[in-house]
Amino acid sequence: MTLEMQRPRPVWQIMFSTHHTDVGLLYLITSLAFLFLGGALALAIRVELFLPGSQFIADSMTFNRIFTVHGTTLIFLFILPFASAVGNYFVPIMVRYKDMAYPKLNAIAFWMIPPSGALIWLGFADFTWYATPPYSIISAPGPAADMWIFGLKILGISSVLGAINFVVTIMKCKHPDMSLGQVPLLAWSFLSSSLIILVAIPTFAAALLMLLTDRLGVSGFFNPAMGGDPIAYAHLFWFTFHPEVYVLVIPAIGMMYEIIPRFSRKPIFSYNSGVFAFVLLAIVGFSSWAHHMYATGMSFTEKTVFMVGTLAAVPASAMHVFNFLATMWNGRIRFATPMMWSVGGIALFFSAGAGGVVNAAMPLDFTTHDTYWVVGHFHLFVMGTIAFGSIGYLYYMFPYVTGRMYHEKMGQAHFVMSFIGAVLVFYTQHVLGLYGMPRRVYDYPAIPEWIAMNQIATVGAMLIGVSMVLFLANMIHSSAKGRPAGMDDPWKLGGKYYYPYQNKNPQH
Amino acid sequence: MRGITALLVAVLVAVPPATAMQAHAAGDEPGEYLDRRVEIWNLFFRLMVVAFTIGAIVSGTMVWQVWRFRESNPNAKPTPYEEKGEW
Repeated sequence: MTLEMQRPRPVWQIMFSTHHTDVGLLYLITSLAFLFLGGALALAIRVELFLPGSQFIADSMTFNRIFTVHGTTLIFLFILPFASAVGNYFVPIMVRYKDMAYPKLNAIAFWMIPPSGALIWLGFADFTWYATPPYSIISAPGPAADMWIFGLKILGISSVLGAINFVVTIMKCKHPDMSLGQVPLLAWSFLSSSLIILVAIPTFAAALLMLLTDRLGVSGFFNPAMGGDPIAYAHLFWFTFHPEVYVLVIPAIGMMYEIIPRFSRKPIFSYNSGVFAFVLLAIVGFSSWAHHMYATGMSFTEKTVFMVGTLAAVPASAMHVFNFLATMWNGRIRFATPMMWSVGGIALFFSAGAGGVVNAAMPLDFTTHDTYWVVGHFHLFVMGTIAFGSIGYLYYMFPYVTGRMYHEKMGQAHFVMSFIGAVLVFYTQHVLGLYGMPRRVYDYPAIPEWIAMNQIATVGAMLIGVSMVLFLANMIHSSAKGRPAGMDDPWKLGGKYYYPYQNKNPQH
Repeated sequence: MRGITALLVAVLVAVPPATAMQAHAAGDEPGEYLDRRVEIWNLFFRLMVVAFTIGAIVSGTMVWQVWRFRESNPNAKPTPYEEKGEW
Protein backbone atom coordinates (compact mmCIF):
# COMPACT_ATOMS: atom_id res chain seq x y z
CA MET A 1 0.00 0.00 0.00
CA THR A 2 1.01 3.58 -0.48
CA LEU A 3 0.44 5.12 2.90
CA GLU A 4 1.97 8.52 2.52
CA MET A 5 1.05 9.85 5.93
CA GLN A 6 1.75 6.64 7.85
CA ARG A 7 5.27 6.38 6.58
CA PRO A 8 6.86 9.67 7.56
CA ARG A 9 9.73 10.78 5.38
CA PRO A 10 11.66 14.01 5.25
CA VAL A 11 9.76 16.56 3.17
CA TRP A 12 12.70 17.07 0.82
CA GLN A 13 12.61 13.37 -0.04
CA ILE A 14 9.07 13.77 -1.36
CA MET A 15 9.82 17.12 -2.98
CA PHE A 16 12.73 15.81 -5.01
CA SER A 17 11.22 12.43 -5.74
CA THR A 18 10.20 11.42 -9.23
CA HIS A 19 8.02 8.52 -8.05
CA HIS A 20 4.49 8.86 -9.40
CA THR A 21 2.72 8.79 -6.02
CA ASP A 22 5.11 11.39 -4.58
CA VAL A 23 4.56 13.69 -7.54
CA GLY A 24 0.84 12.94 -7.22
CA LEU A 25 0.95 13.97 -3.55
CA LEU A 26 2.70 17.24 -4.47
CA TYR A 27 0.06 17.92 -7.12
CA LEU A 28 -2.67 17.12 -4.59
CA ILE A 29 -1.45 19.43 -1.84
CA THR A 30 -0.71 22.25 -4.28
CA SER A 31 -4.10 22.01 -5.95
CA LEU A 32 -5.94 22.01 -2.61
CA ALA A 33 -3.97 25.04 -1.43
CA PHE A 34 -5.05 26.91 -4.56
CA LEU A 35 -8.64 25.69 -4.11
CA PHE A 36 -8.83 27.48 -0.78
CA LEU A 37 -7.08 30.60 -2.08
CA GLY A 38 -9.30 30.85 -5.16
CA GLY A 39 -12.37 30.07 -3.07
CA ALA A 40 -11.53 32.90 -0.66
CA LEU A 41 -11.51 35.30 -3.63
CA ALA A 42 -14.94 33.98 -4.67
CA LEU A 43 -16.29 34.83 -1.23
CA ALA A 44 -14.81 38.32 -1.50
CA ILE A 45 -16.63 38.81 -4.81
CA ARG A 46 -19.93 37.60 -3.38
CA VAL A 47 -19.65 39.78 -0.25
CA GLU A 48 -18.99 42.81 -2.44
CA LEU A 49 -22.11 42.06 -4.50
CA PHE A 50 -24.35 41.47 -1.47
CA LEU A 51 -25.62 45.05 -1.79
CA PRO A 52 -25.37 47.71 -4.50
CA GLY A 53 -22.60 50.25 -4.04
CA SER A 54 -19.09 49.74 -2.82
CA GLN A 55 -18.90 47.46 0.22
CA PHE A 56 -15.25 46.86 1.02
CA ILE A 57 -13.49 46.70 -2.34
CA ALA A 58 -12.16 50.16 -3.11
CA ASP A 59 -12.61 50.36 -6.87
CA SER A 60 -13.60 48.45 -9.97
CA MET A 61 -10.00 47.67 -10.92
CA THR A 62 -9.40 45.89 -7.62
CA PHE A 63 -12.63 43.96 -8.18
CA ASN A 64 -11.43 43.07 -11.70
CA ARG A 65 -8.13 41.85 -10.27
CA ILE A 66 -9.95 39.66 -7.75
CA PHE A 67 -12.20 37.87 -10.25
CA THR A 68 -9.36 37.53 -12.76
CA VAL A 69 -7.13 35.77 -10.26
CA HIS A 70 -10.11 33.80 -8.86
CA GLY A 71 -10.87 32.32 -12.28
CA THR A 72 -7.28 31.75 -13.29
CA THR A 73 -6.47 30.09 -9.97
CA LEU A 74 -9.38 27.69 -9.84
CA ILE A 75 -9.14 26.60 -13.47
CA PHE A 76 -5.39 26.37 -13.93
CA LEU A 77 -4.09 25.89 -10.42
CA PHE A 78 -6.82 23.77 -8.83
CA ILE A 79 -8.79 21.74 -11.38
CA LEU A 80 -5.96 20.80 -13.74
CA PRO A 81 -3.38 19.99 -11.02
CA PHE A 82 -5.99 18.01 -9.08
CA ALA A 83 -6.68 15.88 -12.14
CA SER A 84 -2.92 15.42 -12.54
CA ALA A 85 -2.73 14.31 -8.90
CA VAL A 86 -5.31 11.59 -9.49
CA GLY A 87 -3.71 10.59 -12.79
CA ASN A 88 -0.27 10.38 -11.25
CA TYR A 89 -1.49 8.22 -8.42
CA PHE A 90 -3.59 5.78 -10.39
CA VAL A 91 -2.85 5.72 -14.12
CA PRO A 92 0.49 3.82 -13.83
CA ILE A 93 -1.12 1.32 -11.45
CA MET A 94 -4.17 0.92 -13.69
CA VAL A 95 -2.05 0.17 -16.74
CA ARG A 96 0.25 -1.98 -14.57
CA TYR A 97 3.45 -0.03 -15.12
CA LYS A 98 6.12 0.83 -12.56
CA ASP A 99 5.78 4.62 -12.91
CA MET A 100 4.86 7.30 -15.41
CA ALA A 101 6.68 6.85 -18.73
CA TYR A 102 8.99 9.81 -18.09
CA PRO A 103 9.32 10.28 -14.30
CA LYS A 104 11.73 13.22 -14.44
CA LEU A 105 9.59 15.02 -16.98
CA ASN A 106 6.67 14.36 -14.68
CA ALA A 107 8.41 16.03 -11.74
CA ILE A 108 9.45 18.96 -13.96
CA ALA A 109 5.84 19.38 -15.11
CA PHE A 110 4.77 19.65 -11.48
CA TRP A 111 7.53 22.05 -10.47
CA MET A 112 6.42 24.50 -13.15
CA ILE A 113 3.16 25.05 -11.27
CA PRO A 114 4.38 26.80 -8.07
CA PRO A 115 6.34 29.49 -9.99
CA SER A 116 3.43 30.11 -12.34
CA GLY A 117 1.08 30.31 -9.36
CA ALA A 118 3.44 32.84 -7.78
CA LEU A 119 3.55 34.91 -11.00
CA ILE A 120 -0.25 34.99 -11.20
CA TRP A 121 -0.77 35.81 -7.53
CA LEU A 122 2.05 38.32 -7.15
CA GLY A 123 1.02 40.12 -10.33
CA PHE A 124 -2.74 40.07 -9.67
CA ALA A 125 -3.73 41.07 -13.22
CA ASP A 126 -7.05 42.72 -13.94
CA PHE A 127 -8.00 41.78 -17.52
CA THR A 128 -10.16 38.66 -16.80
CA TRP A 129 -9.05 35.07 -17.35
CA TYR A 130 -9.66 35.76 -21.06
CA ALA A 131 -7.00 38.55 -21.05
CA THR A 132 -9.43 40.74 -22.97
CA PRO A 133 -7.76 42.57 -25.88
CA PRO A 134 -7.37 45.37 -26.84
CA TYR A 135 -7.53 46.41 -23.15
CA SER A 136 -4.87 43.86 -22.24
CA ILE A 137 -2.60 45.30 -24.93
CA ILE A 138 -3.21 49.01 -24.63
CA SER A 139 -3.82 49.82 -21.00
CA ALA A 140 -3.66 46.82 -18.64
CA PRO A 141 -1.20 47.77 -15.87
CA GLY A 142 2.39 46.76 -16.52
CA PRO A 143 4.07 43.97 -14.61
CA ALA A 144 0.80 42.32 -13.54
CA ALA A 145 -0.35 41.61 -17.10
CA ASP A 146 3.08 40.39 -18.19
CA MET A 147 3.40 38.17 -15.13
CA TRP A 148 0.01 36.65 -15.91
CA ILE A 149 1.07 35.96 -19.50
CA PHE A 150 4.32 34.32 -18.40
CA GLY A 151 2.50 32.35 -15.69
CA LEU A 152 0.01 30.99 -18.21
CA LYS A 153 2.82 30.25 -20.66
CA ILE A 154 4.61 28.12 -18.07
CA LEU A 155 1.36 26.39 -17.09
CA GLY A 156 0.74 25.58 -20.75
CA ILE A 157 4.15 23.95 -21.06
CA SER A 158 3.47 22.02 -17.86
CA SER A 159 0.13 20.78 -19.25
CA VAL A 160 1.72 19.67 -22.51
CA LEU A 161 4.51 17.79 -20.70
CA GLY A 162 1.95 16.12 -18.45
CA ALA A 163 -0.24 15.21 -21.42
CA ILE A 164 2.67 13.65 -23.33
CA ASN A 165 3.51 11.62 -20.24
CA PHE A 166 -0.06 10.33 -19.83
CA VAL A 167 -0.43 9.44 -23.51
CA VAL A 168 2.89 7.54 -23.61
CA THR A 169 2.23 5.83 -20.27
CA ILE A 170 -1.17 4.58 -21.37
CA MET A 171 -0.43 3.80 -25.02
CA LYS A 172 3.10 2.43 -24.79
CA CYS A 173 3.74 1.34 -21.21
CA LYS A 174 0.59 -0.60 -20.37
CA HIS A 175 1.15 -4.23 -19.54
CA PRO A 176 1.58 -6.37 -22.68
CA ASP A 177 -1.27 -8.60 -21.53
CA MET A 178 -3.60 -5.62 -21.33
CA SER A 179 -5.37 -4.40 -24.44
CA LEU A 180 -6.53 -0.81 -24.76
CA GLY A 181 -10.06 -2.17 -24.38
CA GLN A 182 -9.21 -3.34 -20.85
CA VAL A 183 -7.79 -0.06 -19.64
CA PRO A 184 -10.09 1.33 -16.89
CA LEU A 185 -12.33 4.25 -17.80
CA LEU A 186 -10.46 6.61 -15.47
CA ALA A 187 -7.29 6.00 -17.49
CA TRP A 188 -9.29 6.42 -20.70
CA SER A 189 -10.45 9.79 -19.44
CA PHE A 190 -6.82 10.86 -19.01
CA LEU A 191 -5.95 9.59 -22.47
CA SER A 192 -8.81 11.57 -24.05
CA SER A 193 -8.16 14.78 -22.13
CA SER A 194 -4.40 14.55 -22.80
CA LEU A 195 -5.01 14.25 -26.54
CA ILE A 196 -7.22 17.35 -26.40
CA ILE A 197 -4.46 19.25 -24.57
CA LEU A 198 -1.89 18.30 -27.20
CA VAL A 199 -4.09 19.61 -30.01
CA ALA A 200 -5.55 22.65 -28.26
CA ILE A 201 -2.82 24.22 -26.12
CA PRO A 202 -0.33 25.17 -28.89
CA THR A 203 -2.89 27.60 -30.32
CA PHE A 204 -3.18 29.46 -27.04
CA ALA A 205 0.60 29.32 -26.63
CA ALA A 206 0.89 31.18 -29.93
CA ALA A 207 -1.87 33.62 -28.93
CA LEU A 208 -0.06 34.40 -25.67
CA LEU A 209 3.15 35.17 -27.54
CA MET A 210 1.26 37.43 -29.93
CA LEU A 211 -0.40 39.15 -26.97
CA LEU A 212 2.99 39.71 -25.37
CA THR A 213 4.60 41.12 -28.50
CA ASP A 214 1.53 43.33 -28.97
CA ARG A 215 2.01 44.61 -25.43
CA LEU A 216 5.66 45.29 -26.17
CA GLY A 217 4.56 47.30 -29.19
CA VAL A 218 6.54 45.26 -31.72
CA SER A 219 3.42 43.78 -33.32
CA GLY A 220 -0.25 44.60 -33.63
CA PHE A 221 -2.01 41.30 -34.13
CA PHE A 222 -4.88 42.18 -31.81
CA ASN A 223 -4.45 45.96 -31.64
CA PRO A 224 -6.98 47.84 -33.82
CA ALA A 225 -4.78 50.95 -33.72
CA MET A 226 -2.13 48.97 -35.63
CA GLY A 227 -4.55 47.24 -37.98
CA GLY A 228 -5.02 44.19 -35.78
CA ASP A 229 -8.23 42.45 -34.81
CA PRO A 230 -9.24 41.52 -31.23
CA ILE A 231 -11.70 39.01 -32.68
CA ALA A 232 -8.75 37.03 -34.01
CA TYR A 233 -7.63 36.61 -30.40
CA ALA A 234 -11.14 35.45 -29.50
CA HIS A 235 -10.91 32.70 -32.13
CA LEU A 236 -7.46 31.59 -30.96
CA PHE A 237 -8.46 31.71 -27.30
CA TRP A 238 -11.70 29.79 -27.69
CA PHE A 239 -10.18 27.24 -30.06
CA THR A 240 -8.10 26.24 -27.05
CA PHE A 241 -10.45 26.93 -24.20
CA HIS A 242 -13.67 25.44 -25.38
CA PRO A 243 -11.95 22.05 -25.76
CA GLU A 244 -10.26 22.86 -22.45
CA VAL A 245 -13.70 22.68 -20.83
CA TYR A 246 -13.68 19.00 -21.81
CA VAL A 247 -10.11 18.66 -20.54
CA LEU A 248 -11.49 19.78 -17.20
CA VAL A 249 -14.68 17.75 -17.18
CA ILE A 250 -13.56 14.44 -18.71
CA PRO A 251 -11.24 13.40 -15.83
CA ALA A 252 -13.99 14.32 -13.33
CA ILE A 253 -16.37 12.00 -15.18
CA GLY A 254 -13.63 9.35 -15.19
CA MET A 255 -13.45 9.69 -11.41
CA MET A 256 -17.22 9.15 -11.17
CA TYR A 257 -16.77 5.97 -13.22
CA GLU A 258 -14.59 4.65 -10.39
CA ILE A 259 -16.94 5.59 -7.58
CA ILE A 260 -20.44 4.82 -8.88
CA PRO A 261 -20.00 1.10 -9.67
CA ARG A 262 -18.14 0.59 -6.41
CA PHE A 263 -20.86 2.08 -4.21
CA SER A 264 -23.69 0.64 -6.33
CA ARG A 265 -22.10 -2.79 -5.85
CA LYS A 266 -22.33 -3.47 -9.59
CA PRO A 267 -19.95 -3.30 -12.54
CA ILE A 268 -20.27 -0.34 -14.86
CA PHE A 269 -23.29 -0.76 -17.16
CA SER A 270 -21.45 -0.19 -20.44
CA TYR A 271 -17.69 0.17 -20.57
CA ASN A 272 -17.74 0.55 -24.36
CA SER A 273 -20.19 3.45 -24.36
CA GLY A 274 -18.04 5.16 -21.73
CA VAL A 275 -14.96 4.87 -23.95
CA PHE A 276 -16.94 5.92 -27.03
CA ALA A 277 -18.36 8.95 -25.25
CA PHE A 278 -14.91 10.07 -24.05
CA VAL A 279 -13.47 9.84 -27.56
CA LEU A 280 -16.53 11.53 -29.08
CA LEU A 281 -16.32 14.40 -26.58
CA ALA A 282 -12.63 14.82 -27.38
CA ILE A 283 -13.46 15.20 -31.07
CA VAL A 284 -16.64 17.30 -30.97
CA GLY A 285 -15.08 19.58 -28.36
CA PHE A 286 -13.29 21.21 -31.30
CA SER A 287 -16.44 21.93 -33.26
CA SER A 288 -18.04 24.48 -30.98
CA TRP A 289 -15.51 27.16 -30.00
CA ALA A 290 -17.22 30.05 -31.78
CA HIS A 291 -20.47 29.65 -29.85
CA HIS A 292 -18.75 31.98 -27.36
CA MET A 293 -18.68 34.59 -30.13
CA TYR A 294 -22.20 34.75 -31.57
CA ALA A 295 -22.32 38.45 -30.70
CA THR A 296 -19.19 39.37 -32.65
CA GLY A 297 -20.90 39.83 -36.00
CA MET A 298 -20.56 36.34 -37.40
CA SER A 299 -22.77 35.40 -40.33
CA PHE A 300 -25.95 33.44 -39.77
CA THR A 301 -24.44 30.41 -41.49
CA GLU A 302 -21.34 30.42 -39.28
CA LYS A 303 -23.49 30.69 -36.19
CA THR A 304 -25.64 27.79 -37.35
CA VAL A 305 -22.55 25.62 -37.92
CA PHE A 306 -21.26 26.28 -34.43
CA MET A 307 -24.69 25.81 -32.91
CA VAL A 308 -24.89 22.35 -34.46
CA GLY A 309 -21.28 21.68 -33.42
CA THR A 310 -22.19 22.56 -29.86
CA LEU A 311 -25.24 20.35 -29.85
CA ALA A 312 -23.08 17.49 -31.10
CA ALA A 313 -21.62 17.22 -27.59
CA VAL A 314 -25.06 16.41 -26.19
CA PRO A 315 -25.22 12.72 -27.19
CA ALA A 316 -21.76 12.05 -25.74
CA SER A 317 -22.55 13.78 -22.45
CA ALA A 318 -25.93 12.06 -22.28
CA MET A 319 -24.27 8.68 -22.78
CA HIS A 320 -22.26 9.24 -19.61
CA VAL A 321 -25.35 10.27 -17.64
CA PHE A 322 -27.35 7.25 -18.87
CA ASN A 323 -24.40 4.98 -18.16
CA PHE A 324 -24.33 6.21 -14.56
CA LEU A 325 -28.09 5.85 -14.15
CA ALA A 326 -28.09 2.36 -15.65
CA THR A 327 -25.21 1.35 -13.36
CA MET A 328 -27.11 2.51 -10.30
CA TRP A 329 -30.26 0.73 -11.47
CA ASN A 330 -30.93 -2.42 -9.42
CA GLY A 331 -27.86 -1.74 -7.34
CA ARG A 332 -27.66 -1.67 -3.56
CA ILE A 333 -26.29 1.81 -3.15
CA ARG A 334 -24.28 2.96 -0.15
CA PHE A 335 -24.49 6.72 0.06
CA ALA A 336 -21.10 7.25 1.64
CA THR A 337 -19.47 10.62 1.07
CA PRO A 338 -17.78 9.87 -2.30
CA MET A 339 -21.05 8.50 -3.72
CA MET A 340 -23.04 11.52 -2.51
CA TRP A 341 -20.60 13.86 -4.25
CA SER A 342 -20.73 11.82 -7.45
CA VAL A 343 -24.52 11.61 -7.63
CA GLY A 344 -24.78 15.32 -6.78
CA GLY A 345 -22.19 16.00 -9.48
CA ILE A 346 -24.20 14.05 -12.07
CA ALA A 347 -27.38 15.95 -11.20
CA LEU A 348 -25.63 19.30 -11.55
CA PHE A 349 -23.82 18.11 -14.71
CA PHE A 350 -27.18 17.34 -16.22
CA SER A 351 -28.59 20.73 -15.22
CA ALA A 352 -25.53 22.48 -16.62
CA GLY A 353 -25.77 20.45 -19.84
CA ALA A 354 -29.49 21.17 -20.24
CA GLY A 355 -28.79 24.86 -19.75
CA GLY A 356 -25.99 24.60 -22.30
CA VAL A 357 -28.29 23.05 -24.90
CA VAL A 358 -30.73 25.91 -24.53
CA ASN A 359 -27.92 28.43 -24.44
CA ALA A 360 -26.39 27.04 -27.64
CA ALA A 361 -29.46 28.26 -29.51
CA MET A 362 -28.60 31.65 -30.98
CA PRO A 363 -31.63 33.64 -29.77
CA LEU A 364 -31.09 32.88 -26.11
CA ASP A 365 -27.38 33.40 -26.49
CA PHE A 366 -28.03 36.98 -27.62
CA THR A 367 -30.34 37.49 -24.67
CA THR A 368 -27.88 36.12 -22.15
CA HIS A 369 -24.57 37.20 -23.64
CA ASP A 370 -22.28 38.73 -20.98
CA THR A 371 -24.96 38.44 -18.31
CA TYR A 372 -24.92 36.48 -15.07
CA TRP A 373 -26.53 33.57 -16.94
CA VAL A 374 -23.10 32.82 -18.38
CA VAL A 375 -21.53 32.95 -14.91
CA GLY A 376 -24.16 30.55 -13.56
CA HIS A 377 -23.86 28.18 -16.51
CA PHE A 378 -20.08 28.03 -16.44
CA HIS A 379 -19.89 27.62 -12.67
CA LEU A 380 -22.51 24.88 -12.70
CA PHE A 381 -20.00 22.96 -14.83
CA VAL A 382 -16.77 23.82 -13.07
CA MET A 383 -18.07 23.77 -9.50
CA GLY A 384 -21.19 21.61 -9.79
CA THR A 385 -19.67 18.92 -11.96
CA ILE A 386 -15.89 19.10 -11.96
CA ALA A 387 -15.26 20.17 -8.36
CA PHE A 388 -18.00 17.80 -7.10
CA GLY A 389 -16.46 14.87 -8.99
CA SER A 390 -12.97 15.83 -7.84
CA ILE A 391 -13.86 16.32 -4.18
CA GLY A 392 -15.81 13.04 -4.21
CA TYR A 393 -12.74 11.31 -5.55
CA LEU A 394 -10.55 12.99 -2.95
CA TYR A 395 -12.68 11.35 -0.25
CA TYR A 396 -12.47 8.09 -2.20
CA MET A 397 -8.66 8.16 -2.42
CA PHE A 398 -8.21 9.47 1.12
CA PRO A 399 -7.69 6.02 2.72
CA TYR A 400 -5.25 5.11 -0.02
CA VAL A 401 -3.17 8.23 0.49
CA THR A 402 -3.26 8.43 4.28
CA GLY A 403 -4.13 4.93 5.45
CA ARG A 404 -6.85 6.52 7.59
CA MET A 405 -10.57 7.19 7.22
CA TYR A 406 -12.00 10.66 7.01
CA HIS A 407 -14.87 11.63 9.33
CA GLU A 408 -17.95 10.35 7.50
CA LYS A 409 -20.54 12.69 9.04
CA MET A 410 -18.39 15.73 8.36
CA GLY A 411 -17.91 14.59 4.77
CA GLN A 412 -21.66 14.24 4.34
CA ALA A 413 -22.31 17.63 5.95
CA HIS A 414 -19.72 19.06 3.56
CA PHE A 415 -21.64 17.63 0.62
CA VAL A 416 -25.12 18.72 1.77
CA MET A 417 -24.02 22.29 2.46
CA SER A 418 -22.05 22.53 -0.79
CA PHE A 419 -24.92 21.11 -2.85
CA ILE A 420 -27.48 23.49 -1.38
CA GLY A 421 -24.97 26.33 -1.70
CA ALA A 422 -24.23 25.51 -5.35
CA VAL A 423 -27.93 25.44 -6.22
CA LEU A 424 -28.51 28.75 -4.40
CA VAL A 425 -25.60 30.47 -6.11
CA PHE A 426 -25.61 29.14 -9.63
CA TYR A 427 -29.31 28.57 -10.34
CA THR A 428 -29.98 32.06 -8.99
CA GLN A 429 -27.25 33.48 -11.24
CA HIS A 430 -29.02 31.98 -14.26
CA VAL A 431 -32.21 33.85 -13.35
CA LEU A 432 -30.24 36.98 -12.52
CA GLY A 433 -28.84 36.85 -16.04
CA LEU A 434 -32.31 36.59 -17.53
CA TYR A 435 -33.20 39.68 -15.49
CA GLY A 436 -30.38 41.43 -17.34
CA MET A 437 -27.61 41.83 -14.77
CA PRO A 438 -24.27 42.03 -16.60
CA ARG A 439 -21.34 39.95 -15.38
CA ARG A 440 -17.97 41.34 -14.25
CA VAL A 441 -19.44 44.43 -12.55
CA TYR A 442 -18.63 45.45 -8.99
CA ASP A 443 -21.64 47.69 -8.55
CA TYR A 444 -25.20 47.53 -9.83
CA PRO A 445 -28.35 49.67 -9.71
CA ALA A 446 -30.67 49.13 -6.77
CA ILE A 447 -33.26 47.06 -8.60
CA PRO A 448 -35.14 45.06 -5.93
CA GLU A 449 -35.03 41.76 -7.90
CA TRP A 450 -31.29 42.13 -8.53
CA ILE A 451 -30.61 42.86 -4.87
CA ALA A 452 -32.68 39.89 -3.67
CA MET A 453 -31.04 37.47 -6.08
CA ASN A 454 -27.54 38.72 -5.34
CA GLN A 455 -28.23 38.22 -1.64
CA ILE A 456 -29.47 34.66 -2.22
CA ALA A 457 -26.32 33.93 -4.23
CA THR A 458 -24.10 35.39 -1.52
CA VAL A 459 -25.80 33.31 1.18
CA GLY A 460 -25.23 30.22 -0.99
CA ALA A 461 -21.57 31.12 -1.43
CA MET A 462 -21.18 31.55 2.34
CA LEU A 463 -22.72 28.13 2.85
CA ILE A 464 -20.13 26.65 0.50
CA GLY A 465 -17.43 28.62 2.35
CA VAL A 466 -18.47 27.19 5.72
CA SER A 467 -18.59 23.68 4.24
CA MET A 468 -15.05 24.15 2.93
CA VAL A 469 -13.86 25.01 6.42
CA LEU A 470 -15.41 21.73 7.60
CA PHE A 471 -13.66 19.97 4.73
CA LEU A 472 -10.28 21.44 5.61
CA ALA A 473 -10.69 20.52 9.28
CA ASN A 474 -11.77 17.00 8.32
CA MET A 475 -8.78 16.49 6.00
CA ILE A 476 -6.20 17.79 8.48
CA HIS A 477 -7.63 16.05 11.53
CA SER A 478 -8.38 12.74 9.80
CA SER A 479 -5.03 12.47 8.06
CA ALA A 480 -3.32 12.78 11.46
CA LYS A 481 -5.78 11.17 13.87
CA GLY A 482 -8.48 9.43 11.80
CA ARG A 483 -9.17 5.79 12.54
CA PRO A 484 -6.99 3.42 10.53
CA ALA A 485 -8.72 2.34 7.33
CA GLY A 486 -9.23 -1.32 6.53
CA MET A 487 -7.44 -1.14 3.24
CA ASP A 488 -9.16 -4.16 1.73
CA ASP A 489 -12.56 -2.59 2.18
CA PRO A 490 -12.55 0.85 3.88
CA TRP A 491 -16.33 1.34 3.50
CA LYS A 492 -17.21 -2.29 4.32
CA LEU A 493 -19.07 -2.70 1.06
CA GLY A 494 -18.11 -6.32 0.60
CA GLY A 495 -15.78 -7.43 -2.13
CA LYS A 496 -12.44 -5.71 -2.39
CA TYR A 497 -11.35 -2.11 -2.33
CA TYR A 498 -10.99 -1.62 -6.05
CA TYR A 499 -7.99 -3.28 -7.65
CA PRO A 500 -5.58 -0.36 -8.09
CA TYR A 501 -5.30 -0.10 -4.34
CA GLN A 502 -3.94 -3.61 -4.00
CA ASN A 503 -0.76 -2.65 -5.78
CA LYS A 504 2.22 -0.58 -4.94
CA ASN A 505 5.05 0.51 -7.15
CA PRO A 506 8.34 0.47 -5.22
CA GLN A 507 10.16 3.74 -4.59
CA HIS A 508 13.10 4.52 -6.81
CA MET B 1 -32.81 -1.36 -20.43
CA ARG B 2 -30.36 -1.36 -23.32
CA GLY B 3 -33.26 -0.83 -25.74
CA ILE B 4 -34.51 2.17 -23.80
CA THR B 5 -31.02 3.63 -23.62
CA ALA B 6 -30.53 3.12 -27.36
CA LEU B 7 -33.87 4.81 -28.06
CA LEU B 8 -33.02 7.79 -25.89
CA VAL B 9 -29.60 8.14 -27.50
CA ALA B 10 -31.19 7.91 -30.97
CA VAL B 11 -33.63 10.69 -30.09
CA LEU B 12 -30.82 12.86 -28.76
CA VAL B 13 -28.81 12.30 -31.92
CA ALA B 14 -31.77 13.04 -34.17
CA VAL B 15 -33.04 16.23 -32.53
CA PRO B 16 -30.07 18.62 -33.05
CA PRO B 17 -29.66 18.13 -36.84
CA ALA B 18 -33.41 18.39 -37.36
CA THR B 19 -33.66 21.66 -35.48
CA ALA B 20 -30.56 23.01 -37.19
CA MET B 21 -32.02 22.25 -40.59
CA GLN B 22 -35.10 24.23 -39.65
CA ALA B 23 -32.90 27.16 -38.71
CA HIS B 24 -31.06 26.89 -42.02
CA ALA B 25 -34.35 26.79 -43.91
CA ALA B 26 -35.18 30.14 -42.37
CA GLY B 27 -32.95 31.77 -44.98
CA ASP B 28 -29.97 34.09 -44.91
CA GLU B 29 -31.07 36.95 -47.14
CA PRO B 30 -31.58 40.45 -45.69
CA GLY B 31 -35.16 40.63 -46.96
CA GLU B 32 -36.15 37.64 -44.88
CA TYR B 33 -34.93 39.04 -41.57
CA LEU B 34 -38.35 39.05 -39.88
CA ASP B 35 -39.18 35.46 -40.88
CA ARG B 36 -35.79 34.31 -39.74
CA ARG B 37 -36.31 35.83 -36.32
CA VAL B 38 -39.66 34.08 -35.98
CA GLU B 39 -38.08 30.80 -37.00
CA ILE B 40 -35.26 31.22 -34.53
CA TRP B 41 -37.61 31.91 -31.63
CA ASN B 42 -39.62 28.87 -32.69
CA LEU B 43 -36.45 26.86 -32.54
CA PHE B 44 -35.66 28.27 -29.13
CA PHE B 45 -39.03 27.34 -27.66
CA ARG B 46 -38.84 23.87 -29.16
CA LEU B 47 -35.40 23.38 -27.66
CA MET B 48 -36.75 24.57 -24.33
CA VAL B 49 -39.53 22.00 -24.52
CA VAL B 50 -37.07 19.24 -25.44
CA ALA B 51 -34.55 20.24 -22.76
CA PHE B 52 -37.09 20.55 -19.98
CA THR B 53 -38.93 17.35 -20.90
CA ILE B 54 -35.77 15.27 -21.00
CA GLY B 55 -34.50 17.11 -17.92
CA ALA B 56 -37.61 16.28 -15.95
CA ILE B 57 -37.49 12.61 -16.98
CA VAL B 58 -33.81 12.14 -16.20
CA SER B 59 -33.87 14.12 -12.96
CA GLY B 60 -37.01 12.31 -11.83
CA THR B 61 -35.42 8.96 -12.63
CA MET B 62 -32.35 9.88 -10.66
CA VAL B 63 -34.30 10.99 -7.61
CA TRP B 64 -36.40 7.83 -7.74
CA GLN B 65 -33.29 5.65 -8.09
CA VAL B 66 -31.63 7.29 -5.11
CA TRP B 67 -34.72 6.54 -3.03
CA ARG B 68 -35.44 3.05 -4.37
CA PHE B 69 -31.97 1.54 -4.63
CA ARG B 70 -30.41 2.94 -1.45
CA GLU B 71 -29.24 0.11 0.75
CA SER B 72 -31.49 1.18 3.62
CA ASN B 73 -34.63 0.72 1.50
CA PRO B 74 -36.64 -2.25 2.89
CA ASN B 75 -36.85 -3.70 -0.63
CA ALA B 76 -33.09 -3.53 -1.24
CA LYS B 77 -31.52 -6.88 -2.01
CA PRO B 78 -27.92 -7.90 -2.69
CA THR B 79 -26.81 -7.60 -6.30
CA PRO B 80 -25.68 -10.79 -8.08
CA TYR B 81 -22.13 -9.42 -8.09
CA GLU B 82 -21.89 -9.12 -4.32
CA GLU B 83 -21.78 -12.88 -3.82
CA LYS B 84 -18.67 -13.15 -5.97
CA GLY B 85 -17.17 -10.09 -4.31
CA GLU B 86 -16.10 -8.73 -7.67
CA TRP B 87 -17.37 -5.72 -9.52
